Amino acid sequence: MAKTSKRVWLTFSGKSMVETPALWRMARQFPDVTFDIRQASVTAEIGIMAVLFEGNGQDVAGALAFLREQGVAVEPIEGSVVEG
Amino acid sequence: MSYVLGLKCRECGEKYPQKGVHVCEVCFGPLEVQYDYAAMRGKVTRESIESKPRNLWRYRDLLPIDGEPKAGLYSGWTPLRRAHNLEKVLGVKELYIKDDSANYPTWSYKERVVSVAITKAIELGYDTVGCASTGNLANSVAAHAAVAGLKAFVMIPHDLEQGKVLGSLIFGPTMVRIQGNYDDVNRLCSEIADKYKWAIVNVNLRPFYTEGAKTFGFEVAEQLGWQLPKHTVCPTAGGTILPKIYKAYQEFIDLGLVADNQPKIYSAQAAGCNPVVEAIRAGHDLIKPQKPKTIAKSIAIGNPADGFYVVQAVKQSGGWGEDATDAEIVDAIKLLARTEGTWTEPAGGTTLAATIKLINSGRIPRDESICVCITGNGLKTVEVVVDQLEPPTSIPPKLDAFDALMATYKAQQAKAPAKVPASV
Repeated sequence: MAKTSKRVWLTFSGKSMVETPALWRMARQFPDVTFDIRQASVTAEIGIMAVLFEGNGQDVAGALAFLREQGVAVEPIEGSVVEG
Repeated sequence: MSYVLGLKCRECGEKYPQKGVHVCEVCFGPLEVQYDYAAMRGKVTRESIESKPRNLWRYRDLLPIDGEPKAGLYSGWTPLRRAHNLEKVLGVKELYIKDDSANYPTWSYKERVVSVAITKAIELGYDTVGCASTGNLANSVAAHAAVAGLKAFVMIPHDLEQGKVLGSLIFGPTMVRIQGNYDDVNRLCSEIADKYKWAIVNVNLRPFYTEGAKTFGFEVAEQLGWQLPKHTVCPTAGGTILPKIYKAYQEFIDLGLVADNQPKIYSAQAAGCNPVVEAIRAGHDLIKPQKPKTIAKSIAIGNPADGFYVVQAVKQSGGWGEDATDAEIVDAIKLLARTEGTWTEPAGGTTLAATIKLINSGRIPRDESICVCITGNGLKTVEVVVDQLEPPTSIPPKLDAFDALMATYKAQQAKAPAKVPASV
């Protein structure tokens, strides 16, 4: 399958999510998906990361779905909203 | 003559040439237009600006275009009015309304950003423009694209109200209903911009588009006699306009066009969607996303892309953030209409309601100049007030009937005149 790249914002909202090792779990579940953190900012209440995911399309989609199941908000970098 | 140097990442500083991109390839941060301010000094003056026609392009030296403007030649230069009646009601010394409900041709501040984006789209060689929108932006893109002779694709959520659909359709764009919510529409637009190489004004043209919002601030300063209001209250949705008004003030200060009175800027949001105000109150830089629930739909963005920069501008200026409930928003819409004759949409009601609360809480002193930013027109959102107004009285065509009505009217007039609604 063709290699896919996805650039996403990951938002860990709330203290319990900030303390959830969701990325580590994702990496264990999808060892063939690489992730590259380009920006990150974390407080006790919220964490936001800009991350590049690469791998085959099915694995990357699965990895992002897994993160959503863990409670992480996953939004494409290009899709962030400036106007309605 | 253009003073544009190119694009630069706001986070890591990586530089890019002018093209249809908005995300840094290194850190995924947003890109912003860079200008050669040193070259402007002595050339961009009050006189050079005053010599140009009264539209938003009189500030073109501070806008990211290389050639002649191609859109918005009759947009901008909206009224900045001293609001004497509202001053009396609120008990303040000097209050101004900057009124983009009168911005031609689709009656919102979006004319400013779209005029710049469409001109840039033409310069960059695009023949098709588009946007994801639920209202004002779609109206403006459709109208300006029609004038510029560009193909326009306007993507909307499938359940959008008829009035908002017509407000764009009349200009003849291709309108596509997407079977999903606004987030789904926006996501699809990003993919469309990539695949079809179109100029989606608020996606891949965002660095240029957002610069157009500065003209709101430039006009406030010039119309106030080349000075800045001490306090500016501005609505916050995705976070475009507030940081750009503040940037406009700073650019005029840096170029020596206005004195630095250390202007303060304030963010106004609906209580049902207030992620930026919450962050300001909590002292955080990061925005915690929310699910919007408010009548102020044009500013109901739960995860604002540029919210971080709103917080930064507010903090840097020494301003603050305030929110307003739906009831407070409606009351403020009515108050503005009944004191100053301006009918604004809920975003404007939010801004006025927040201003009143900021005054009452002492955050804004009553004896300093205040500017309230009105960004849209109430005629587009009649559903917000339709059940909130007394219906007209119906009488037979007889003088007796009118006399009876007048007796009732006089009794009502004995009641107190306009005052700040109890809700705010």
